[in-house]
Amino acid sequence: MTSTSNPKTPIQDAPVHRVLLGKKQILVTENEPLLVQLERAGIPVEYQCREGYCSSCSIKLLRGQVIYPFEPLAWVQSGYLLACCAIVKSDIEIAFFD
Amino acid sequence: MSYSTFNRKHFDSTKEPMFFGENVNVARYDQQKHPIFEKLIEKQLSFFWRPEEVDLSTDRKDFQRLEAHEQHIFLSNLKYQTLLDSVQGRSPNVAFLPIVSLPELETWIETWSFSETIHSRSYTHIIRNIVNDPTKIFDDIVTNEEITKRADSVSIYYDRLIEMVNIYNTMGTGTFNIPGKGDIKISMPALKKALYLTIASVNVLEAIRFYVSFACSFGFAERTLMEGNAKIIKLIARDEALHLTGTQHMLNLMASGKDDPEMAIIATECKDEMRDIFIEAAEQEKEWANYLFKDGSMIGLNAQILGQYVEYITNVRMQAVGLEPHFATKNNPIPWINAWLVSDNVQVAPQEAEISSYLVGQTDNSLDDSDFDDFDL
Ligand code: FES
Ligand SMILES: [Fe+2]
Ligand SMILES: [Fe+2]
Repeated sequence: MTSTSNPKTPIQDAPVHRVLLGKKQILVTENEPLLVQLERAGIPVEYQCREGYCSSCSIKLLRGQVIYPFEPLAWVQSGYLLACCAIVKSDIEIAFFD
Repeated sequence: MSYSTFNRKHFDSTKEPMFFGENVNVARYDQQKHPIFEKLIEKQLSFFWRPEEVDLSTDRKDFQRLEAHEQHIFLSNLKYQTLLDSVQGRSPNVAFLPIVSLPELETWIETWSFSETIHSRSYTHIIRNIVNDPTKIFDDIVTNEEITKRADSVSIYYDRLIEMVNIYNTMGTGTFNIPGKGDIKISMPALKKALYLTIASVNVLEAIRFYVSFACSFGFAERTLMEGNAKIIKLIARDEALHLTGTQHMLNLMASGKDDPEMAIIATECKDEMRDIFIEAAEQEKEWANYLFKDGSMIGLNAQILGQYVEYITNVRMQAVGLEPHFATKNNPIPWINAWLVSDNVQVAPQEAEISSYLVGQTDNSLDDSDFDDFDL
């Protein structure tokens, strides 16, 4: 994975963003993609490749901003993000299937 | 409009649409209209593998110890996958190469289809290893009613497109009486519609039809049975993920109008038909699960769970091509499958230095503190 090789920055030094998912709120950093941080918070996300080429981890991005350290091969629909490779850059709100 | 293997016209291929523009002449990749296809080629090449590298000696013993109904599940899936890859190992070439207009897309199609032939070779490798007479298995693919039913639905769109393009390449546009088939109207919109629906049905093949079989293979491997087979299926699934992304890009590029404005109109017109292709395939796959488990289930999997998985994965795939998810199943009933599907054996060099250089997935609204007021940290 692209992110796990990163040296971990202590959480207090890194920018922390809030992820709103329905009634849940999770804190995430910019050190790793959203997917691993959601999983660590006990929120399962659909995935397959975990490398940005299968689009299985696509979830709705209702508000806020994410970036991709490398351009994913999968098509990113407007209003969606690819959790396996998206780095959260602001507070965001996301949603799975309604 | 006859096809030329080396178009003599001088034109800028980056101005051509993906399909139905000029025939490709120079195979050059230094400039691309849609760089995604060049990237898919590189990725597919980096995935190259050979079935013979996977040792199946333990699988042979495992297979002999499976119960009869489990052998039925295993062999039926193998037959169905053999059918799907037989189709995919040739049809993208036969159907799309005569009408493709971009060198990078032409080569992606060839690379894609070639990788399907590796899948087919791996089925021979597996079948040879577990049965003494492979012919019995292969022959059943063309006679078994459950399989041939599926052969009809996976080949119907391809075959119609190929037929229409054949007529177009010899006769041009117009209405032609084809013996045994009646009048066939060939127009550019009719050709483009046939193409769009074919790509939708191929997307369904790669993104949905393989997954019942994948689930069963990994279901056996969860019980440490048929693990060599699971290793091969993992490699196949990794390729299929790339293929489904390729077809999603084609569909989404077409619908966006960025490639060919006329295609965007056709995509809108075809939306309901495309939806039906997804839903019909999902229903067929659920039926297939019933056939697999007719004599008994396997630990952790039965027809009902697999049916729910089909519905779930169909929703995921529909969403990826801009369709509203159709089924009520909103959760993956077999989340353990993802740990098998992940391609842990590929390490891709991270490009962290380029962080922030690429920005997508931005929406206008930002969140303020009041959005979080009700929640505890
Ligand atoms: S898991 Fe494949 S694109 Fe994210
Ligand atoms: Fe395949
Ligand atoms: Fe494929």
